[in-house]
Amino acid sequence: MGSLDSYLPILILFVLALAFAGLSIFASKLLAPKRPTSAKEAPYECGIVPTEGPPQRFPVRFYLIAMIFVIFDIEIIFLFPWAVVYNELGRFGLVEIVVFAAAVFFSFLYLLANGALDWGPVKRIRPVTAAAQRTTSSTVRRVGAGSGEAA
Amino acid sequence: MPDPLFAHGVGLAVVVIVLVKVVVAFTVLLVSTMLMVWFERKVISDMQNRIGPNRAGPFGLLQSLADGTKLFFKEDLLPERADRFVFRLAPLLAVVPAFLVFAVIPVGGIVTIAHHTVELQVADPPMGILFLLAMSSVAVYGTMLAGWSSGSKYPLLGAVRASAQMISYEAALGLTVVTVVLEAHSLSTRSIIASQAQHFWQWNVIRLGFVPFAIFLIASTAEMNRPPFDLAEGESELGGGFNTEYSSLRFALFYLAEFMNTITMSALAVTLFFGGPDGPGFHFLRWLWPILWFLGKTTAFCYVQVWIRASLPRMRYDQLMDLGWKRLIPLALGWLLVVAGVNLSAAWGFAIIGGGVLAAGLLYQSLSVGRRRRETVTQPPAARALAGVPLRPVARPGGTGG
Repeated sequence: MGSLDSYLPILILFVLALAFAGLSIFASKLLAPKRPTSAKEAPYECGIVPTEGPPQRFPVRFYLIAMIFVIFDIEIIFLFPWAVVYNELGRFGLVEIVVFAAAVFFSFLYLLANGALDWGPVKRIRPVTAAAQRTTSSTVRRVGAGSGEAA
Repeated sequence: MPDPLFAHGVGLAVVVIVLVKVVVAFTVLLVSTMLMVWFERKVISDMQNRIGPNRAGPFGLLQSLADGTKLFFKEDLLPERADRFVFRLAPLLAVVPAFLVFAVIPVGGIVTIAHHTVELQVADPPMGILFLLAMSSVAVYGTMLAGWSSGSKYPLLGAVRASAQMISYEAALGLTVVTVVLEAHSLSTRSIIASQAQHFWQWNVIRLGFVPFAIFLIASTAEMNRPPFDLAEGESELGGGFNTEYSSLRFALFYLAEFMNTITMSALAVTLFFGGPDGPGFHFLRWLWPILWFLGKTTAFCYVQVWIRASLPRMRYDQLMDLGWKRLIPLALGWLLVVAGVNLSAAWGFAIIGGGVLAAGLLYQSLSVGRRRRETVTQPPAARALAGVPLRPVARPGGTGG
């Protein structure tokens, strides 16, 4: 066993936590009533009867976030052993990690510049110059005055 | 440095000590979770100028126990569209890691029991802090699978939001933990508190320059789905979030896990940044004072969590993601490199700070490029009219009139 000995308490705690959760669910099964009706078993939508199932497709942003997270998490996993032995590595370690961080950072900048991490709908902007052409005569329709009113 | 308890092999005495430690930690964690629920409700009531729970037991102390007992007797519903196996598995995936995460938190000093050196923490594996991060990642599965297996719209939406949020802030959280490891030269939680011992200016919150701690506090709040980052259960839009379809004891397990995580994250903040059980003590009852210090600091952090919840309004989802990815992660990464540079020499530190300023400029530039790309210019009607296109007729209510 050797170094794995120190995981023994975690193993015992795991068994204990699992037993606690399992036994509580079992006890609840014994104690609780079981009277299901179709209304109770329907998906909860604040009283509205659901007409269709849950969506199968999701905004691609969520997948993007997951993929970008993997890149960052791998970077962090590499940083942990580096941080432990940093003092022995000295200047070499610092230069190495700056190069490594820069490589990740520049790809991160590329993602940001492409809007990969932006959320919400695209913002639509009206040019300011249009405001000059918008006057009361062009935007306000007076009752009885316009020819379009007779249509 | 391995756990000294196992230095001479695993004998009967060692197993008994381990069993006692585990059972005590388990019980204390459960009871303190119940107290935490009471504490949160009571403090929030005070801040909102109302009384809060005051019926069950003195000061309403037994309210959580009463609520928990009640949930045992409630009907456990299984939605018809649910994936039955995963639906039952998800609460276990939430609650078991919540227990395990606490295992590596040092709650006291080192004592000698029956000629065995015992560290007052459940376990001290050499990979302690990695184990902790791994377990908090497993908790994401509990949330995700709970929402997915419910076969219902709002839990699914809440779960997808929650998982994206949790993994986003895990990156920032991990980077601040690396900064702490850089000072401690070890992944064991016991070594991390040992590296901050003796004086309070050795605590990482001061030694690392406050910024990693601030990032850790924000990221851990988001990691736990607590307000102001509780978008997973935005009541106004998602019902109850990922656990909407859960009832009875399975719901109680999610609730338990959530509050247990609050305590553990407070304890983790104390361990990483505030010296853990470190603090002045007296010469009698030497083993007691570190535990009291640990409990005091953790309670203070729990209070801060409640305070944040009572003070701040919920964020919007795009604001949440912007804060996590565009501010906290680059800042945490930059600060890590600065700490590494300063550890080497002042000149390297200044060089890295210079590089960091340059990187911040590039970051700002790419953000504005991204913003420009996303904004689309729509042609106003007036411009089209000038170009000869007729104005769109104004829609009138009641199209048949006239």
